[in-house]
Amino acid sequence: MTGDRLSAHPPSTHSTDPDAAPEDDPTFLLFKSRLKIAEDKLSALLEAGIDDTDGQAANKDGPSAPAESTPAPAEEQNRGVKRPVRFIDENYDDDDDEEEEDVNNVSPLKSKSSAPNNINSLHGPPGSPMPKKPRLDNQPSIASSSEDVRKKLEEEKKAAEENAKRSFHKYIYTLESDRDAMVEQQKLDELDRQVENEMSGQNGGSASIVAGNRPQQGTLGSTNLGASSLTLKHLIATIDAKRDQVHASDAQLRNLISEVRKKSSKWASEERIGQGELYEAAEKVLMELKAMTEYAAPFLQKVNKRDAPDYYSVIKHPMDIGTMIKKLKSLSYKSKKEFVDDLNLIWANCLKYNADPNHYLRKKAVHMRKETEKLTPLIPDIVIRDRAEVEAEERRLQHGEADLDGAEDSEDEEPIMASRGRKAPKKGANTARKAPAADTDGSPAPDIKPPGSAPHGSGSLSNLKNEFLRADSDVPLDGSQNGFLTPPPPGSATPLGPNGVLGSGAPGSQIDPTEADGIASTMSGLPPIEDPDQDDQDFQTWKQVTKKDRAHVAAERHRLFQGGQLNLEAPALLRSKAGMRRFMRQQMNAQGEQSEPEHESEKYGNDGEGAAPGATLAEGMEGEEETLLPDYYDPVNAIPELNERTKWAEDSEGLVIPQSDETLRLFPEGQFTSPDGSLTRKMEANMRQMQETRKVVAKIGVVKQMQLQAQTYHNQFQKYDPEPFVEADIKTTVVSDDGPIMSESVCKAALQRSVGKVCYHAGFEEFQPSALDALTEMTSNYVTNLVKTLGVYTEQPKVPVSQDQGVSAGKKTDWKPRFSAEESILHTLHQNGLDLESLESYCKEDVDRLASKLGVMHDRMKSHLADLLRPALADNAGADGAGAFNDGSQQFYGGDFAEDIGEDFFGFKELGLDQELGLESLSVPFHLLQNRMHNAYQAQNTNAATNTGVVFEEPPKWAPITRDNVDQQIGLVKAWFQERLAKNDDQPLVEDEELPSKQRFPKPRLPPSGKISSPRKRPIKEQQASAKKKRKAEETNGNTAQVNGVVNGEGTSVNDGTKSPGRPIKKLKLEMPGTKDASAYGDRDGEKDAEKEPGSAVGMMSPESIGA
Amino acid sequence: MAEKDKTVKYRTEIQQMMFVSGETGEPSVETTTMIEGIVQQQVIEMLSQATSTAARRGVRSISTDDLIFLIRHDKAKVSRLRTFLSWKDVRKNVKDSDDKGGGADAADIDDPSLVAGAGPGPGGPNMPGDAAKKSGAANKKAKVGLPWEVASLYAEQVPERDDEEDEEEEEMNFATLQRLKNADERTKNMTREEYVHWSDCRQASFTFRKGKRFREWAGFGIVTDSKPNDDIVDILGFLTFEIVQTLTEEALKVKESEDQWRKDIGQGTGEGGEKEESRKRKRESGLFDPPEEARTPVQPRHVQEAFRRLQHRDNKGRAMKNFTRGTHRVPLKLI
Repeated sequence: MTGDRLSAHPPSTHSTDPDAAPEDDPTFLLFKSRLKIAEDKLSALLEAGIDDTDGQAANKDGPSAPAESTPAPAEEQNRGVKRPVRFIDENYDDDDDEEEEDVNNVSPLKSKSSAPNNINSLHGPPGSPMPKKPRLDNQPSIASSSEDVRKKLEEEKKAAEENAKRSFHKYIYTLESDRDAMVEQQKLDELDRQVENEMSGQNGGSASIVAGNRPQQGTLGSTNLGASSLTLKHLIATIDAKRDQVHASDAQLRNLISEVRKKSSKWASEERIGQGELYEAAEKVLMELKAMTEYAAPFLQKVNKRDAPDYYSVIKHPMDIGTMIKKLKSLSYKSKKEFVDDLNLIWANCLKYNADPNHYLRKKAVHMRKETEKLTPLIPDIVIRDRAEVEAEERRLQHGEADLDGAEDSEDEEPIMASRGRKAPKKGANTARKAPAADTDGSPAPDIKPPGSAPHGSGSLSNLKNEFLRADSDVPLDGSQNGFLTPPPPGSATPLGPNGVLGSGAPGSQIDPTEADGIASTMSGLPPIEDPDQDDQDFQTWKQVTKKDRAHVAAERHRLFQGGQLNLEAPALLRSKAGMRRFMRQQMNAQGEQSEPEHESEKYGNDGEGAAPGATLAEGMEGEEETLLPDYYDPVNAIPELNERTKWAEDSEGLVIPQSDETLRLFPEGQFTSPDGSLTRKMEANMRQMQETRKVVAKIGVVKQMQLQAQTYHNQFQKYDPEPFVEADIKTTVVSDDGPIMSESVCKAALQRSVGKVCYHAGFEEFQPSALDALTEMTSNYVTNLVKTLGVYTEQPKVPVSQDQGVSAGKKTDWKPRFSAEESILHTLHQNGLDLESLESYCKEDVDRLASKLGVMHDRMKSHLADLLRPALADNAGADGAGAFNDGSQQFYGGDFAEDIGEDFFGFKELGLDQELGLESLSVPFHLLQNRMHNAYQAQNTNAATNTGVVFEEPPKWAPITRDNVDQQIGLVKAWFQERLAKNDDQPLVEDEELPSKQRFPKPRLPPSGKISSPRKRPIKEQQASAKKKRKAEETNGNTAQVNGVVNGEGTSVNDGTKSPGRPIKKLKLEMPGTKDASAYGDRDGEKDAEKEPGSAVGMMSPESIGA
Repeated sequence: MAEKDKTVKYRTEIQQMMFVSGETGEPSVETTTMIEGIVQQQVIEMLSQATSTAARRGVRSISTDDLIFLIRHDKAKVSRLRTFLSWKDVRKNVKDSDDKGGGADAADIDDPSLVAGAGPGPGGPNMPGDAAKKSGAANKKAKVGLPWEVASLYAEQVPERDDEEDEEEEEMNFATLQRLKNADERTKNMTREEYVHWSDCRQASFTFRKGKRFREWAGFGIVTDSKPNDDIVDILGFLTFEIVQTLTEEALKVKESEDQWRKDIGQGTGEGGEKEESRKRKRESGLFDPPEEARTPVQPRHVQEAFRRLQHRDNKGRAMKNFTRGTHRVPLKLI
């Protein structure tokens, strides 16, 4: 296409160049006249209708054409008997056109000499495609001397293909190579695109020149009318300009033009004779070669320097198919030889570079060379010549005289000489012109050539072309054909116009049949030789023939997938009627070949006939392309048969029968819970036991905490009441298929739960989710391995039941699995690091024994809790329980009203402690409240633990300090007591122990060890001063002792020693910050609390002592 | 010899231990060196593993639990170790009270029943003299709890009741008792002097009163960052004894089977042949069998084979390795 555009440059530049138009008067006139003629023609054309465009035009232009046409066939027949009939048509047309031209040229129009020419050029294309038509649907058989040979080759090839096709459905072909085919096809497409891109890029410069054409094409509808649109562009432009006067719809016009266009070769050039045929053939050959992807792949593109660094030092003239396509498209080839040389250069390069005889590429190159040899005869031996040259030459040949411009003469002289020489002279010139060819070929672009010498330049160029004419004998024929295909270029028309008298001898076409046959025979000797490399001719053919189809199908199939999965968005697969029919036909063919012919006719005759008309009709309508591929290639055919039950069926009343009911089923329950088994039951029992024990433990904790704490609050203790384990099954699920539910998330969750259970069973009360995830992953991995191993063992090849029979009888061998189920399982366990012993030991050790251990623990905890709750009934209560009263609590005789009030002290009820205590009432157990007293008592009575009853009377209480007896105190503390009394309004001082319990200072508790461990927790303020205080406390230690002595009230000389056995040593308590006084009572035993200095506001004062 | 002393530090101890374990002959230097090397390797391995376990807990210094964790699968050994530790505790307590001058007290409350209860005590080969045992009875024998036992499932630790007897413990004790029985068999016919020697040998230890030497030998400070406490050193001392014992017993088995094989084959090479002959003669004469001094001691090759056998992987190791292909590096197995 691009080539055509290039070739059409001269007119376009003329018409669009604004600078040239005003100066060039003749051109301007020329356009004007063209316009007029075109208008006339168009109106005539539209009136006449679309059917007979050519005839109409021909009739109008040259009425002598039909008359002339008749002798031409005769002449043809006389000349070449061997020619096929259709070539008569060709020649008929050729002659016709030539006559037209003759007429035009002969017509003595001096001033408007270009006008007839122009007319010719306008509807030359409509006439010229005619000979092409029969060829296009066929192989690249170009009319030339080797026509027969080519035909023969074609037929052979076709026959082989047909043969292969017939056998295609006899084999099952795997789809293995399809992917390669697809990839290769994609590569080819890629290559095409690339070439296209490069070409268009190259064209970019000239495109600006041609730009004027584009809008014209665009205005006439969006369809790209292709190559000929350039040749028709004046027509199109005219039509566009006078659109309102044209009585035809857009569609009609488009139809008209496209019809016209279809017939022209895309390579056809107005200026270059022979180009159409040569390039048509060359392209086909090239495509053919390219399509042999199996071999051609390495030659598709230039050798990458990265792949072979030294390539370009070895190979001086690199060549590849891609480059050839490019050259082809840029119209660089001037002759068949050039083309063939390039082809052979590729293979030669390969063989040269890869000198190693075993190199795999050599094989391919050799194969390709063979193929090339097979195909080259198909290319007509044409040397492209410039139209002007040919015409000039022919003129000379005919008339023998060239008596026109000297310049013209001198121009023509040279090429003729050259062509006469029958040689390819000036190789240098050849190569030199290759590069600029695309731009300069007959297109005297103004920016390259000086405007004045434009016609001159083109002339000299065409001369150049003529220099390369080699096969002189072919030229006449080519000229005769191409001359009409490609009307004389307008650029060169000016000089040609005057001498436009062409001899009728031009189509003399001295075909040398014998010579051509000779070539053909030598060539045809090659193709039948089978490639020894080909292992399977059928398969090779199959691969070759169906390559494109397979690639297509594979790509199609590929589209159904996305990321390795079925593409849900892909359009539905629908089987067309034609496809179905083809399938049936294929089936028939396949069966027909197997069955006897008579049988076939009997059986299929009727069906076939009955189906035939409809089939053909439908096929015609749907326009399905026949593919050679067997039906299993079609994804539609790969869809499995629909289940009977899922078919759409209607009952008699037209209602749809809901067949789905039968297929649906409820997924059985319990698939996602642990199965009921003795092990499961045991484990669950263990877990329940753990929970129970934990409850007890929680209670123990509460009780201990209560004993430790001075104050307890309602709801202080969280109730530990774990939920029992319930395994939730999945919701009721309806499935329509057999088999398990394959839902990853659900399965994973179930496994996770099981893993969690095992973890809990192992003693983990809770776990981090990530840890559980990791464990679950490992578990699933392990179980997968187990199953995989089991699979491996069960799928072992079967072995004969007994060796002897299998060997001797050979016939009736019974087979059994290699491993029995038991063996498989044992092997599997072993392979995965398990054995029955370890499993058993797990059951025994980790489940059974754990159960007993847990039971023991539970008992232990329970009894411990009981001990904690009923200290009164502990050992020291004595045999008769009388000791329980020793601590002076009112546990057993105090009335309580808690129950009456309905108060749940400390939330015991909620905690469930009431039941644990066995209490009927909800009273607060006294020993819990009074544990300090109790502890104190116990500490006192450690030695008397086993005594029954009280041995010694409790000593009388100290008399409270009053105004009266304060004088009896020792002198040291007397003053202090007096002060206190004064502050207390001379009321007797109250002992700490007699304070209401809430106001009492908490007593320091003694740990079981009996050692004073640490000072009580103090307010922060105190802590700051504690260090100072400590020091002071040490200093005043002596005082303390004395104070104690005084408090005893026993007189003067009572020291600590007398008291210490009776009273426990209390904790160090520092509560009075800042005051010397308070710190002095570091070792206070509690009695003195009330006697603290009330003035120390910061300290923990007993409120009563203040108030009193 | 002096040079050797640098590396070989426990020749005497190992010989004694081997003697206790049933090797009556005098093992060669090569044998003891080899055994010492093995033991050292094991100790270092144990220390590094325990360190990594501790690091996983976020602690730098290893605790006794970390060490016991390493041998947790060998229940009998764990049981022995626990017995050992509890007795050690007892001894320490007694020592404390002795220091305080309360020794008299302890002696006062000597209860015959409790002493009987402490019967298994001598099972610990390192168990020192009678005094400790007796006084140990006074201080209550505390059971060493391990973090992976059922009791640790719960937040509250509750004192054990006397009436509960763990069947597992009984089972574990069985192995200990079996050992004791073997030792008893071995010592049955000993003379007084021999028994004294025997019991001396039983006290052989890598660590006892050799703390510094052991620390250097085991690479403390290199393998572990921290300075392990006495408990750990004692445990290691116990374990090293166990290692030597196991090795020796296994080596003896190897040797025995080798001798048997030699006999079966009917060829006696070198000393083996002589010994065989002499044994045959002995068996024939039968009456005045000289005790087994005539036997040759175990050779390094026997120890080697024993070590190899003890390093044999159990099948459990491949549990997760199926379908993974490739060789898996396996760590040293602790004996």
